[in-house]
Amino acid sequence: MSELREVYRAVSPAEFFYKYREIAGFANPVRAVYQTIRELVENALDATDVHGIPPDVKITVRKADETQDFYQITVEDNGIGIPPNIVPNAFGKVLFSSKYVLRQSRGMYGLGVKMVVLYAQLTTGRPVEIITSKSGYKRIYYFKLRIDVNKNEPVVIEAGSWRKTRDWHGTIVSVTIEGDWNRAKSRVLEYLYRTAVVLPYANIVMVTPENEIVYYPRIVNIMPKPPVETKPHPQGTDLEFMNSLVKNTDFKTIEELLVKSFQSIGDVTAKQILQTAGIDPNKKPSELSDNELLSLINAMKTYDKYKPPSSRALSPLGEEIIKAGLKRAFNPEYVDAVSRRPGAYSGHPFIVEVGIAYGGNTPIGEDKPVVLRYANKIPLLYDEATDVISEVVKEDINWENYMISFPAPLLILVHICSTKIPFKGVGKESIADIPEIRREIKLGIMEVTRGLKQFLSKKIREEEAKRKAEAVAKYIPEVAKSLAVILADESNLNALRKEIISKLTTIVARKTGVSFDLLHGIVKSIEAEA
Amino acid sequence: MITMPSQADLAARNKALDLIKSSMKSLVEQINEGEKPVLVIPKRTLSNTIYDLRRKMLLLGPEVQHRSFTDVNEAKKFMQTLLMASIIFDALRNNEYPTIRDLYYRGKHSISYRTVDGKRINENTWEEQRESDSVIRDLEVFLSVLREDLLILSKEKGKVVGNLVIRSGDDTIDLSKMGHGAYAIEPTPDLIEFVDVDAEYILVVEKDAVFQQLHRYGFWRKYKAILVTSAGQPDRATRRFVRRLSDEYKLPVYILADSDPYGFYIYSVFKAGSITLSYESERLATPSAKFIGVMMTDIFGDSVFRKIVKDKDSRKILEEITPGVSELKPKSPYLDESERSNFIIKAKTKDLERAVELVGYKVAEVCIEDKEVKNKVKKKEGLTGYPWFSTPEWTREICIFFNTLSKLEIEAMASKGLKFLADKYIPEKLSVGDWID
Repeated sequence: MSELREVYRAVSPAEFFYKYREIAGFANPVRAVYQTIRELVENALDATDVHGIPPDVKITVRKADETQDFYQITVEDNGIGIPPNIVPNAFGKVLFSSKYVLRQSRGMYGLGVKMVVLYAQLTTGRPVEIITSKSGYKRIYYFKLRIDVNKNEPVVIEAGSWRKTRDWHGTIVSVTIEGDWNRAKSRVLEYLYRTAVVLPYANIVMVTPENEIVYYPRIVNIMPKPPVETKPHPQGTDLEFMNSLVKNTDFKTIEELLVKSFQSIGDVTAKQILQTAGIDPNKKPSELSDNELLSLINAMKTYDKYKPPSSRALSPLGEEIIKAGLKRAFNPEYVDAVSRRPGAYSGHPFIVEVGIAYGGNTPIGEDKPVVLRYANKIPLLYDEATDVISEVVKEDINWENYMISFPAPLLILVHICSTKIPFKGVGKESIADIPEIRREIKLGIMEVTRGLKQFLSKKIREEEAKRKAEAVAKYIPEVAKSLAVILADESNLNALRKEIISKLTTIVARKTGVSFDLLHGIVKSIEAEA
Repeated sequence: MITMPSQADLAARNKALDLIKSSMKSLVEQINEGEKPVLVIPKRTLSNTIYDLRRKMLLLGPEVQHRSFTDVNEAKKFMQTLLMASIIFDALRNNEYPTIRDLYYRGKHSISYRTVDGKRINENTWEEQRESDSVIRDLEVFLSVLREDLLILSKEKGKVVGNLVIRSGDDTIDLSKMGHGAYAIEPTPDLIEFVDVDAEYILVVEKDAVFQQLHRYGFWRKYKAILVTSAGQPDRATRRFVRRLSDEYKLPVYILADSDPYGFYIYSVFKAGSITLSYESERLATPSAKFIGVMMTDIFGDSVFRKIVKDKDSRKILEEITPGVSELKPKSPYLDESERSNFIIKAKTKDLERAVELVGYKVAEVCIEDKEVKNKVKKKEGLTGYPWFSTPEWTREICIFFNTLSKLEIEAMASKGLKFLADKYIPEKLSVGDWID
């Protein structure tokens, strides 16, 4: 179990988010319920599967006030837990992470949960409650806190701890917000359902205010490979990042900084980049001027002899997990999945995974397949029309070539994982059209659909064989009877008829490749009626 | 002692029963060997119908079809064929005489089966009589017997009178003592025994009405003829009867039909057989039958034709089709100008098309004058005619038909006077040999 050492630095006032909460997804009471649950669940999952722990996540929503639309939302996980000294800042201060390493995770810098705390404070005034412990700790810690918006500081209202009686680790977060549960409910359930599709290795339970229990039990014992922290790739850098890097580094020279902070840069490469940028390799990083910094970034981005970014930071689901999830969700006739080879865009590694389900309980696509979109294991529910995945499904694939005619019970699942998902806009619900990614999506869909085509044509051939056999078998009793009438006496007519029926059935079965039993069933159905 | 059925009948039954039994035995042997059962049946298609120039009849060619039970496209026909065989077998054994309509009803029932998808479907063994009739024909060629040999009856259509004594069943019948009526030719003419015949030829009249007139007039007694009518398109029994009588007593056969392509075709069915039932020709056709009339030349003489062959190009084409056509004996008409205008009927497009089928498109092209009419038969371009119509005499006859676009029914000849028909037209033509062979 790997564990993350996080260092934080305050950069931006909580007030900003407080005022512009709609950009973080809290635009209305319906969206707020959905967004709160999403943020807490995704934090819970990041605390578990990213660290190789099979997630157990429990979500409880209950009415918290008799007259007002207040709801207490509690999410419990069995994740790595949070050190008690970090808890106040982790929940009570809008922070940016100061780590200079990357890996795939759902949330970034824990921003979302602070929005939840702020929103709760704004609508109900009630503080957030946190219970947490790490593996190996002897105690469980308890906090009740709020955020001082003006100072961007946590205010701990209550804190305490108690002795652990068993080796529990994880976090329980509880907030009370004002929201419209009734209208948010279907969206929340859809979110959980879609989450469960790609997380067959997780136990997910939800208790609703109506005391309904939604339960997605763990059905597989495999886990996605956890992401490995990697240094950023030089092509993926930007001014903000470089600024922060040179200001906070302990490295003596800019050359050393480049070699130690980035992947794919060795001494030779560093010298070449610095030469292109016109910077002395021995210069102290913090002494770089703004112009020097800009030309350095420029040189880093235009240098074209790097190795592609490492995909070790990524955590694809894997084909078996996708297939297991689709099987549980749709019990399809045909299911398959593919994890494409890693690719990269602008210095960011990515992997596209595609799953396909056909038949069974798979929903019917009217004029194209039903699409389930995922980014870093998070389901994308909104803005489907503008998403690159939807565009590929609609425009880049000629479904008729794959023997599919709509309406058809066909579903395509696309999962894109990356250290930086190219979202369109701030809503984080739709993925932008990046040519490298679009191409991988297309190839992935084509790959799984080819398999479906083979399945369908085999199915059609088998159906055809059955139909042909049936077209012959249905006449067996009549033929047998006719021959018996001509060749047998009254006494052995029935015996001869039965003998011919049995022999003809064997012959037809052999000729058509259809099982004797199936044909015998048809023959018997005629006998029974006669 | 009179037994029912007759001895001849019983013998025929036993023969048919044995035949069906032995042919079906080989099918069961195939099945016992674990092989797919296959019926090998001569093909009853136009492409497998050949005209035997030496024997002068239409015969079934050498092509056969393999009707395999395991072939999806053949399975139903296979079942129907066997079903029909078993019904016929059953009827033979029970001394019954089914008609083809009876057989249709006896075999028609529904097969109710459950499909592989679990749906229950009811399917009839056959829907229309067309289907059951077709397998009866298949059985005839498969067993190489006529349906009459299987004691299948059909409607009696043909009639006969004359100085002829036959045995039918266990009765002896004198066909010269039928009063105003006539003996209806039974559907199983092979069971008839000819006891005594006193006649010089057989005259087959296409039209029943003309047959009756000639009969009442006493034509057959006066001219020592056996008088037969097919009452239109001849059925199998009438053809078989004529064939047997002609064969067994060496009597020449003359056909008197309408002077139109339809009448000509009826003659050819008697003589050479029909295309759809070519497998029966060997037993039904009378290759020596002659067409006595009514000929186009009986109506128009040959002046029309002589005018056509005066043209060098036309003559060349017609000579190429049937050498000697321009040097046929001259003929004068039996009708004068006013009779012609009273009796003849204008030919219809259908008549024209049928005529092209008989002698081919080229004759039509040379002989039809009217451009509009020529265009009407243009779609038959490429037809070369039937070999048995490829004679100088038929070329002349049908050329005149094309040119005059006229046809005439035998009744018209009778209208000119029954006396004329019975005492002049027929005897005169017979005595001078004015017929087409």
